[in-house]
Amino acid sequence: MTAFTTTHLPTAPVALAEGDEMPTTTVGPMTRTDFVRYAGASGDFHPLHHDEVYAREAGLRGVFGMGLLHAGILGAHLARWVGPDNIRRFAVRFTGQVWPGDELTLTGHVERVEDIDGVRMAHLMLAVTRQTGEPAITASATAQVAG
Amino acid sequence: MIDASIIGQEIAEVTFPIDRSKLAELARAYGETDPVWHDPRAARAAGFDAVPTPPTVTVLADHWRSGGVAGLVEAIGADLSRILHGEAEWEYLVPVRLGDTLTSRQMVAAVSRREGKRGGTMTMIKIDTEFTNQRGELAVRRTDTLIEREI
Repeated sequence: MTAFTTTHLPTAPVALAEGDEMPTTTVGPMTRTDFVRYAGASGDFHPLHHDEVYAREAGLRGVFGMGLLHAGILGAHLARWVGPDNIRRFAVRFTGQVWPGDELTLTGHVERVEDIDGVRMAHLMLAVTRQTGEPAITASATAQVAG
Repeated sequence: MIDASIIGQEIAEVTFPIDRSKLAELARAYGETDPVWHDPRAARAAGFDAVPTPPTVTVLADHWRSGGVAGLVEAIGADLSRILHGEAEWEYLVPVRLGDTLTSRQMVAAVSRREGKRGGTMTMIKIDTEFTNQRGELAVRRTDTLIEREI
């Protein structure tokens, strides 16, 4: 997996308006090593994600990535966009599997902005999409933003 | 098959540290190279009061639960090979920082059934987790939806 280029991680709320887009990034190709590294980092040792023999016996073509791995990659990218301390809610729906060799595109945009008790909140729509065009994750988030 | 009798079941309480090595490992697993995610000096230089954490940091609890992710599935009496992770949602109340100690309390919140698109019944199991920090503040609330497929 290619690493993200380092850009400044925001501390204060950033100025965002309806329609603004998150910088699009592509990560991958995802490898079995990426899955194993995440297993070690997170403690998710479900054998479907690292044991090829087990996965085949379960009727799959092989191991596939943990949903919380690409959810975490998306979350880190979201944090880079709006600042980690400004995220109030993050919700992901796993819609498809990620296989070794997949390239994932992370996208997002501001759906709407509203004032809640005098605080400016942006409602964000996000996705992780495979190179085939199929979504692996559809997600939404709420973040405090500046005007 | 899982049924509504498990609603309200509490799953083992887990207390775990947000420590530098695990934060560095997690950042690396996410492809993040910025030292802000684990180095106190880099975090202060970037304007943070302490090392910030990514929004999915609470996954680290899985290290401290007996049996990890599989342990959770076993605790509710489900068959690991038939369980899918459908959804996860986090609500953030207090920022989680390097040096915090979190205690997670998990409970089965709901069980419902629906017919799957390709036939067979799907059972949706909603699990609520609350993460409290060392000051007793509720820091993160997480909800997971697990799907049990009928064979």
